[in-house]
Amino acid sequence: MSEVLRIENLSKRFGRKSVLKDLSLSIEKGKVYGLLGKNGEGKTTLIRVIMGVIPADQGELFYKSQKIKFNETSYKKEIGYIPEESIFFSWMTIKELLNFNASFFPTWNAKKADDYLKRFSLEKRTRIRNLSRGMKLKLGLMVALASEPEFLILDDPTSGLDVPTRQDFLKGVIEEILEGGTTILFSTHLVHELEGIIDHISILHQGRLILDKDFEEVKGSVKRVRLTFDKNIPERLELEGILTERKNGSHRELVVYPWNEEKGDRLKALRPASMEVESLTLEEIFISFVS
Amino acid sequence: MIKVETKSFIPIYEQIKNEIKNRISQGIFKANEPLPSIRELATQLIINPNTVARAYRELEQEGFIYTRKGKGCYVSDNSSSLVKEESTKILNQVFDRTIEEAIKLNLDPEEIKKLFEQRVDQAAGSEGKRRKK
Repeated sequence: MSEVLRIENLSKRFGRKSVLKDLSLSIEKGKVYGLLGKNGEGKTTLIRVIMGVIPADQGELFYKSQKIKFNETSYKKEIGYIPEESIFFSWMTIKELLNFNASFFPTWNAKKADDYLKRFSLEKRTRIRNLSRGMKLKLGLMVALASEPEFLILDDPTSGLDVPTRQDFLKGVIEEILEGGTTILFSTHLVHELEGIIDHISILHQGRLILDKDFEEVKGSVKRVRLTFDKNIPERLELEGILTERKNGSHRELVVYPWNEEKGDRLKALRPASMEVESLTLEEIFISFVS
Repeated sequence: MIKVETKSFIPIYEQIKNEIKNRISQGIFKANEPLPSIRELATQLIINPNTVARAYRELEQEGFIYTRKGKGCYVSDNSSSLVKEESTKILNQVFDRTIEEAIKLNLDPEEIKKLFEQRVDQAAGSEGKRRKK
């Protein structure tokens, strides 16, 4: 697998607040990465460092094995970036914006831009300041996709949008995956939307990646275990990888990662009256890791 | 139309597999008829095409569907008997668990059978009423 982006030992602080702490991440070509984290955990900061909007305090960035210095722009021609808030000049019309962007990207696909304009019912003569937030985001997606990016970075794009607009937006992203080869870094706090979309899960918590793994593997090995005891209620359950634990009288509810048969046998040896093991949704998995 | 629930603990590819198997058992998908393409299903459900591809790959390995090169996936000849076989297996597991519970509660086999028959009659009755409506 070839690597599109590699981040090594990245640190960033704002004043006294340390936002990213010695963070390393590798992104492989053709995969969809879900970058998950609560608000204020550093997702946007990480993306801004990748996009060269702000410098890192420490650490290195490699794009396709080439070391990237701050202020370098060449690699950005291959990246489609959709920030949280629109960064377009509000006085431009859509037509002017398209011409403006086309001049930056050698790979600009004008036909694709036109197709998307029709699909999203956007008029070329409309001024950007007259667009709603949802329309601006669709325009952002369109601009990012028309540059035929090899790597698409989405920074929490769907927050605050209504469901149909979000679905339109996500459909555009899926079509991009279908065209083949596009690598995607998708940051969001609307975690459940990524359930069927991501290949890889990266959870950012307190400036560190506390999970960075293949999503199917994680989905298969995070389990919720419900135990009920009639006698010999254990005071403490000694088991590695307990993410959360809830006690209620003779009931115990654990979320364990990674779950395996051996751990199951050890819990059974405590002779519970009943033991149930179940899977979790992406959203529940996320909450278990960050709580 | 095939549906998936993103707020379910069941992995999406499993949900797709189950939806297709259900449609085979209901006779909606018939032997040697084409399934929706990966592209269609991915955009309609807003999920990664790899996820759809995985569901189809596993269904093929399990014998429910087959691929025609360059044409897509089709329902296998013996798919409905395979689905039936599988659902019988799952049902038997549920029965086994229930019987185990019943034995724990000190019921004898005759009592268990009687209770089971009662439930079946009751379900058939309410099903009959629903159909009449």
